[in-house]
Amino acid sequence: MKVVYSACDITKTKLNFAEKLVNVFLPSNHALGRLVKRKKTSSSCAIEVSRGSVRIRASFSNHSTKTGSASITGINEWQARPIESVYIPVKEMLANSPGFRSLYAGREIHFEEIYRDILDRAHRPAPRGPTDKNRKTLLTILQKAMDGKITTKEEEFFLQSEQGNLEFSLLAEGMRKLGLLWLLIQNGTLLEGSILFWDEPETNLNPKLYGVITEILLELQRHGVQIFLATHDYVILKELDLRMKEKDNVLFHALYHDTEITQIRCHTSDRYLGIHPNAVAEAFADLYDREVGRSLGRLLK
Amino acid sequence: MTAITEGNLRISVPSDVTARKFDIGDTHGLTHCMKAVDLILEFKDHFLFIEIKDPEHPQANAMDRDTFIKKFQTGKIDEDLKYKYRDSFLYEWACGKIEKPIYYYVLIAIDGLTEADLQAKADDLKRKVPQCGPSSGIWKHWIVEDVMVFNLSTWNKHLKDFPIRRSIP
Repeated sequence: MKVVYSACDITKTKLNFAEKLVNVFLPSNHALGRLVKRKKTSSSCAIEVSRGSVRIRASFSNHSTKTGSASITGINEWQARPIESVYIPVKEMLANSPGFRSLYAGREIHFEEIYRDILDRAHRPAPRGPTDKNRKTLLTILQKAMDGKITTKEEEFFLQSEQGNLEFSLLAEGMRKLGLLWLLIQNGTLLEGSILFWDEPETNLNPKLYGVITEILLELQRHGVQIFLATHDYVILKELDLRMKEKDNVLFHALYHDTEITQIRCHTSDRYLGIHPNAVAEAFADLYDREVGRSLGRLLK
Repeated sequence: MTAITEGNLRISVPSDVTARKFDIGDTHGLTHCMKAVDLILEFKDHFLFIEIKDPEHPQANAMDRDTFIKKFQTGKIDEDLKYKYRDSFLYEWACGKIEKPIYYYVLIAIDGLTEADLQAKADDLKRKVPQCGPSSGIWKHWIVEDVMVFNLSTWNKHLKDFPIRRSIP
């Protein structure tokens, strides 16, 4: 997801693809070659991202220390059509917002660039004009779940509720995630044609809120936002499975290590039950089998 | 090997295990005021109470199926399963038959239920029956030894000596 996000982000920032990859993955000493799969001998890698007929490709070896040494092709055509994209990292950053962006800009601090990027997007002002109906509906659902809406003062975020303004550092982390989603919808970042990457939305989220999150994501998808979720969570997967409607465009990609060819492979399905292999279901099945085994072990002894 | 039919399902029981249908109005005599599990199996050291829910019965009518789905979605089925066990326990206790620990196994014949769903249902039912007494430790006996929930596939996978098949596939 970070690779695809990097490719999308540079359509706006016009940065070098290899440089963005390094900033996002943060390999030691910013050495690009450390992103290549480690082998005992010299090795190289190629990264290719495409949309329609347009594609960007970066190739480099494990000896590449500078981003300039990567071979990049297709960059001009790729950057000619900018895409709005957002990457929500696992770690919540809004509570640490005050001063972070200026610190990041002025000093060498060891944070992946996705953390600065998400704050940049969260701080965007709302677009001019009235909020359209679709966005209003989504914002209302989130406001109901949060019991309030988000405001900012200087660089600090607050949940404005009946209790007053609650700073983000006092909120549960799951609630901050809902707040971030609210901001991205309210400030028009997540509009038709944009792409949202969300790494493990379930982290630190009360399972009772999974339904709200899933409904918002499906609704954004219906409004033309493309969404990539990475999850290891059964409830998130089942919420999607149970809430998606016939016309929804949802695919489940199972990434797995193929031991025969020692490579990562991908199996895609349009249904939850078609996910194969399903590491999440396998873990549950294993627990269930052991629980039944324990019970039967006593009953049939 | 004994075979007992419950609706469209037929369960085979080894000959060293005594099996009886429990939820029969005439012999139970109190089904107007007490709920009852479908079957009781008696092992050397344990009892096994079995409740069977079969909404995918090929001859089940649409209304019955919808009623079951509604009860399932609203959690009423869990209440039903809880009281079926408790009332059956009370009934058997009043008969002076509760001499051994009891296991409570529920078969919900819905193919789409995954192991995760079954595990969640079992955990919920264990809390509701309840399997454990109060934290004060005042209970001298547990009212149920264990609770598990199966679908047809997991039942036949784990209870190979007690296979359940459809009479009419």
